[in-house]
Amino acid sequence: MAGLASLGILLPPGVKSLGTSLNKGSVKKNVLVIVFDAFSAYHISLYGYGRETTPNLRRLAKRATVFHNHFSGGNFTTPGTASLLTGTLPWTHRAIRLGGTVKPGMENKSIFHAFDDYHRFSYSHNTLVNTLFNQFAANIDEYIPRQSLFLLDDGLIRTLFQNDEDAASVAWSQAVKKTEGFSYSLFLADLYQKYRDSKVADVATSYPYGLPNINTDNYYLLDQGIDYFRGSMADLPRPFFGYLHFLPPHYPYKPRKEFTGTFTKDSFKPLVKPDDVFSSQKAPGFLATSQSYYDEFILNVDHEFGRLFEALESSGILEDTWVVFTSDHGELFERGIWMHSTPALYQPIIRVPLMVFEPGVSTGREIYDHTSAIDLMPTLLHITGHPIPDWAEGAVLPPYADIHNPNEQDRIFVVQAKFNEPTHPLTEVTVAHVRNNYKLIYYLGYNEINEQEKVQLFDIHADPEELNELTQNKPETTSELLQIVKKKLEEVNRPYYK
Amino acid sequence: MCALPIHLWTFFLGLRDVDWITARTNFGDALGVIGYGLLFAFIESCAVFFVAALLGCLISKKWGEKKRITLLSTLIIILSLWSIFNQVYFLRGAAPLPQVVEFFVDIKRPLVALYATALFFVGFSFLIPTYFTLRSSKTEHALQSGFERLSTLMTMYLFIDAIALIVVIIRNL
Repeated sequence: MAGLASLGILLPPGVKSLGTSLNKGSVKKNVLVIVFDAFSAYHISLYGYGRETTPNLRRLAKRATVFHNHFSGGNFTTPGTASLLTGTLPWTHRAIRLGGTVKPGMENKSIFHAFDDYHRFSYSHNTLVNTLFNQFAANIDEYIPRQSLFLLDDGLIRTLFQNDEDAASVAWSQAVKKTEGFSYSLFLADLYQKYRDSKVADVATSYPYGLPNINTDNYYLLDQGIDYFRGSMADLPRPFFGYLHFLPPHYPYKPRKEFTGTFTKDSFKPLVKPDDVFSSQKAPGFLATSQSYYDEFILNVDHEFGRLFEALESSGILEDTWVVFTSDHGELFERGIWMHSTPALYQPIIRVPLMVFEPGVSTGREIYDHTSAIDLMPTLLHITGHPIPDWAEGAVLPPYADIHNPNEQDRIFVVQAKFNEPTHPLTEVTVAHVRNNYKLIYYLGYNEINEQEKVQLFDIHADPEELNELTQNKPETTSELLQIVKKKLEEVNRPYYK
Repeated sequence: MCALPIHLWTFFLGLRDVDWITARTNFGDALGVIGYGLLFAFIESCAVFFVAALLGCLISKKWGEKKRITLLSTLIIILSLWSIFNQVYFLRGAAPLPQVVEFFVDIKRPLVALYATALFFVGFSFLIPTYFTLRSSKTEHALQSGFERLSTLMTMYLFIDAIALIVVIIRNL
């Protein structure tokens, strides 16, 4: 059966013969993975959000495979991206802390390594992603420095202290950048502020909320980054595998002038939900305003992705390139919680977009199966004719799964383990597990929870806003999913017990 | 005297950062960040000293060398204290008293009034010590002896800066 499917027979109606687009026996297709950081599927109009945040994605979706129930591996950049790059969950790769790295021995277990017959290039605005790139650098042919697409950067510091770039940059930042109004320096910080303001004065007027930045003064422009890749992609050696990780719509939410004010005074009213046990007591008004800024930044991202896509199309790259649009995690503006650094794994934090554009295909399809970030690597390897390594934990995504998928069952987990030592068993952890229509969230070891553990169950299809907690009404489902999670935790913790 | 407030402030904030840097990476990196911080503090101290020395050339020669050094040291300390005061405001997440805010809001040109008030206090804090340093030999001597005692700490800064430099060199090998 699987063999027939791979020949293009017995495929569902409306599905183009896979044989024509797969690499097997044909010229190798390029792969381009485009990640926008902290892009929640909850805020995408294409997925049903109440604001029109993504007109371009809606338009482009007509020619893409759109995954409606796709989950990240973690709740912030480090674990989420490591899951994308390794095809394993955070409890396996162990890049679980802020700025963390994958465990020793996994340096050669990444998507870059798996595409070893391709020209591999990577770029990220986000230093947390670059920390991971550094680990995989031996398998990246063209590692574009993050500062090359910044308006200002700490180039001198990095050049002077190139063997200790991280610590030197942090110290420089603490010394002269008044991130929160204070710095080690008493005098130079103010002069430095004046200097950097003068350097970006000409573009600052296009950003009423301030210039997009990361680490205080690493100002960047998304359109500049997009322009760079619009111009450089055609000259790349073929076949190529590219991984581009742009910071927007991650905080700080700073859209360009034409997008600001679009949602701040509209009639959209976010649903106010009761405060969570992990609430940081953000007022509903503050959350609503932040959400408007975030949505405007998404609108900006959508516009820029549209521009990049047009360039890929007009240059003919789309004809022989698989293009993937996704994110590493989402963002939350409810229950007193803001952003994503929280143990609470509600849908807006863990449900992310996934769109796959097939080379030369102009018809779209929609997939409602539950899928995970860890599925991306095996899928891309499979569709480009590469073997799937045995350490990959994901499964080939539904429309391309013309092979036996050993990992298909019970693979949708999202893991939050920021407060644990990577080399120790996970004892303060949240695990979200999705099966059929249900999502179970298991909290273990947090001080905020008196009983040491807490369980929530939601029917994410009937109740996508997660307003009705079902552990009392559905004890059997709760027990079944909880058993799976606990068994899994026991299994992943076992090697770390001394 | 340039080095005292700059180094103390760097050290204070550096120690404050140890926890989060250790949590994010490790204690070695936290020490490294303090090492770099002290190195930058040394450079800043040299820069401030250079500016102070240039200013010294502008002060009338009719005052003796010691008087001029005392005066400049006093001014640098006051400037540093204002800078620290400004940063402590953010560090403690302080907010101005509501009565003060209301007072300025009620004024026709609040921003001008705010700057004028700040200028008054800052100017006053400079003028009073300057006046007493120049006019009162008692104050001058008291300040001089205080600064001389504090200057002995200079050897300690140099020692700490040397350690910081070694830390930075080792980390960059």
